[in-house]
Amino acid sequence: MTSGAPASETIAAPAALLPQELDLARLIVSVLSLEVAPEEIAPEAPLFNQGLGLDSIDALEIALAVSKTYDVKLRSDDERNHRIFASLRSLSAYIETHRAR
Amino acid sequence: MSATLKPGEAAPPGAPEWTTARERGSLALARFMVWLVRRVGWWPGHLLLYPIALYFLAASPRPRAAARAYLARALGRAPRLPDLFRLYFAFASTILDRAFLVTGEAARYRIEVRGLEALQARIAAGQGCVILGAHLGSFEALRLVADRGCPVDLAVMMHEANAARLKAVFDALGGAARQAAVIPLGTAEAMLRARECLERGGLVGLLADRAPRAERVLEVPFLGAPAPLPTGPHLLAAVLEAPVLLAFGIWRGPRHYEVRFEPFAEPLPPGREGRAAAVAERVRRYAARLEAVCREHPYNWFNFYDVWRRDAA
Repeated sequence: MTSGAPASETIAAPAALLPQELDLARLIVSVLSLEVAPEEIAPEAPLFNQGLGLDSIDALEIALAVSKTYDVKLRSDDERNHRIFASLRSLSAYIETHRAR
Repeated sequence: MSATLKPGEAAPPGAPEWTTARERGSLALARFMVWLVRRVGWWPGHLLLYPIALYFLAASPRPRAAARAYLARALGRAPRLPDLFRLYFAFASTILDRAFLVTGEAARYRIEVRGLEALQARIAAGQGCVILGAHLGSFEALRLVADRGCPVDLAVMMHEANAARLKAVFDALGGAARQAAVIPLGTAEAMLRARECLERGGLVGLLADRAPRAERVLEVPFLGAPAPLPTGPHLLAAVLEAPVLLAFGIWRGPRHYEVRFEPFAEPLPPGREGRAAAVAERVRRYAARLEAVCREHPYNWFNFYDVWRRDAA
């Protein structure tokens, strides 16, 4: 599936998103109707406060969309929540580890 | 529309007035009242409310000016000194009563309940509910009724600073079980806890008349002038597709409360389409209901800051 894409293109992108990160970025942008292109979200930038400037209700919407799309439920009693929601990359990594395959 | 909430930030410099001086004063007062009524009982505590209310009325010009401006709107005339005293006295009374109500010592209280059927129907249907209140009358009186008539969880969401203060009062009263049900707002976890509570068929209570700086607000007509009210509580209910009830614990006189539940909104269908408009409509309607209660019971409004000032909320 990726055989056609030359490696140089991936490297040339300003912020190299992994395919699953790009999918998640698209989901977030669509769910929150953000005025930013999914490709432009820096994977390591904070999602909340600075960075994308999302708030806790946005976080809730993301959590709901994630559970619908990936069947991964984010729970309040997870002590890692702070790290999970830290950036696009950390949230994506969490989903990849826990999603049903 | 999307603004930043700062989790864990307690009363930053330039915070709205209500997160600072007056809240500190009322916490000290609450602690003192708890101490007092534990030792001497309700009556001496009640008599002391007269000098206490006078002291607060005399000692703090800024809250007094705000109270005067509010009363002028709610009463529809220039407030006189006895009007101001009644407001301060009612406020002090609810603080005294909190010390009793929070420990469940409500035997001598007359508490009239209206509209409980609306709440019970939701509970019977196993449907989690968002309950919106205001800094009006006593939230504890309301909680007492909810606790009695309610076999499900009740979680109250509060801004970090207020939650910490409330926790201090609960700690003083030794109510560990109750304090666990206070969720500090502003984090992803808080929102997930609200969702989980609603999923269990529980109740999530929020006060929808104050917003910290930089939270999402909408200016809506309130007692004759536009006031910035928070949209967050309504948005939360919409996102979680929960029905909404209003609840007020109105102070009617010494050891006398009227607790009211009113159906407010049905669950909103999922998706963003039409949501912003629905939320705006709800903020307006909430303000209109609040206005009606303020006109009916003008001495129950316990927001001692300028609620109409744009940067106050």
